[in-house]
Amino acid sequence: MTGNLKLTAYLGERQRSGSAFVAEAMLDLFTERSVASSIMLRGVTGFGSRHVLRTDESLSLSEDPPITIAALDTDDVIGAVADDVAALLPRGLITVERVRLLGGPEAVAPDAGAVRVSIALGRNRRIGTTPGFAAVCDLLYRHRFAGATALLGVDGTVGGQRRRAHFFSRNLDVPLVIIAIGTAEQARAALPELLAMTIHPMVTAERIVVCKRDGVLLQRPPAVPAIDSHGRPLWQKLMIHTSESTQHDGQPIHRAIVGQLRQHRAAMGATVLRGVWGFHGDQAPHGDRFVQWGRQVPVTTTIIDTPENIARSFDLVDDLTAEHGLVTCETVPALLALGGPQARGGLELAVYP
Amino acid sequence: MNVALWAGVLVIGGVGSVARFMVDRAVARRASGTFPIGTLTVNISGALLLGLVTGLTLSHGVALLAGTALLGAYTTFSTWMLETQRLAEERRIAPAVLNIVLSLVLGLAAAATGHWIAGLL
Repeated sequence: MTGNLKLTAYLGERQRSGSAFVAEAMLDLFTERSVASSIMLRGVTGFGSRHVLRTDESLSLSEDPPITIAALDTDDVIGAVADDVAALLPRGLITVERVRLLGGPEAVAPDAGAVRVSIALGRNRRIGTTPGFAAVCDLLYRHRFAGATALLGVDGTVGGQRRRAHFFSRNLDVPLVIIAIGTAEQARAALPELLAMTIHPMVTAERIVVCKRDGVLLQRPPAVPAIDSHGRPLWQKLMIHTSESTQHDGQPIHRAIVGQLRQHRAAMGATVLRGVWGFHGDQAPHGDRFVQWGRQVPVTTTIIDTPENIARSFDLVDDLTAEHGLVTCETVPALLALGGPQARGGLELAVYP
Repeated sequence: MNVALWAGVLVIGGVGSVARFMVDRAVARRASGTFPIGTLTVNISGALLLGLVTGLTLSHGVALLAGTALLGAYTTFSTWMLETQRLAEERRIAPAVLNIVLSLVLGLAAAATGHWIAGLL
């Protein structure tokens, strides 16, 4: 059986590989291999295994922001490109995860449980006068998804074609991705409408566990063994969806999470991405307004680590998201950490139930 | 004003801005909080040095190079404003106001101290 894989790289934007930026070299590689879908997202704050803070709060520390690059294609394509991505990256994190491509002839949404649905589309595509991402968020909101965040890409490939944002350009097909949290039933119900949209979104699903919703603890990250039956390490990913406007102790929750994780050395890294549109909790889909009191957009914090460190990180996250926040957890079958105190993990996928 | 002096302003101005970047980054990375302490450090130390430079009886050319070129490039008004706005947009009003007040109070005190030290020399 051939499935689909998602490769994600977490790195600093200014990292170089030879004479080119690593991020750019990666996108060139994806273009050369005609990777079906890839996107580069620029983060607002984060840190890596050396615990160096990158943040847009300070001008000097914002010169090298964290970025996330995700690529999606079949097992064969991603399997072949993964080692080349690793060879390009002097320092950073690479993960490989199994995803389900929805809308193909054979692929259907998972039967039960919670899912994260990712919807990629051109960032300036519209349905009538409504921006495509807003139409998708409205649809997900109608289907009672727990939350969704639209993240703007700055570069990427769509159907193997390079789509890079330029300052003087309409940037019609530069990718944007909406990540939505819901149940398998909701995903199945929303899928026909999503696929019928004139903006032709690419839809994938991944199985997750919802740990917290609106600050209420539903379930801790499930216990996962450190290694699979073949001795390959297993990893876990926590994603925390909060809003710019919700605070803990006078600072936005995502800033507090990054600060605490770094201070307690609880995780080997974290990346915060700021959305342009979205919803969670009881809010209707929204973005920033021209005149407003503080920013309102949703933000997503990602932490990937060993099951042991995720359990520790979750304790910190749990305290900081006492009233707000949607927290999800999932198993990551392959992770390679480069340039830290020591290289860890590998790109071979572990097997887990 | 001659070409050598202009060239000096160019080079020394460059040195000042590199020094600001290094100091700001070094301080900000060590600080665990999210208050823009790096820019504060740069501006206060710059104000102290500028107070000192203007307090000394320097020739026009040297004063231009040390004051306008070096310290003018080293200190930064725009970053102070930008970082305050970043705090305000996340509704962190207390640190935003503190950043303005602290910079003004410490800045004036630093400039006066610099001037006083120059008087002793």
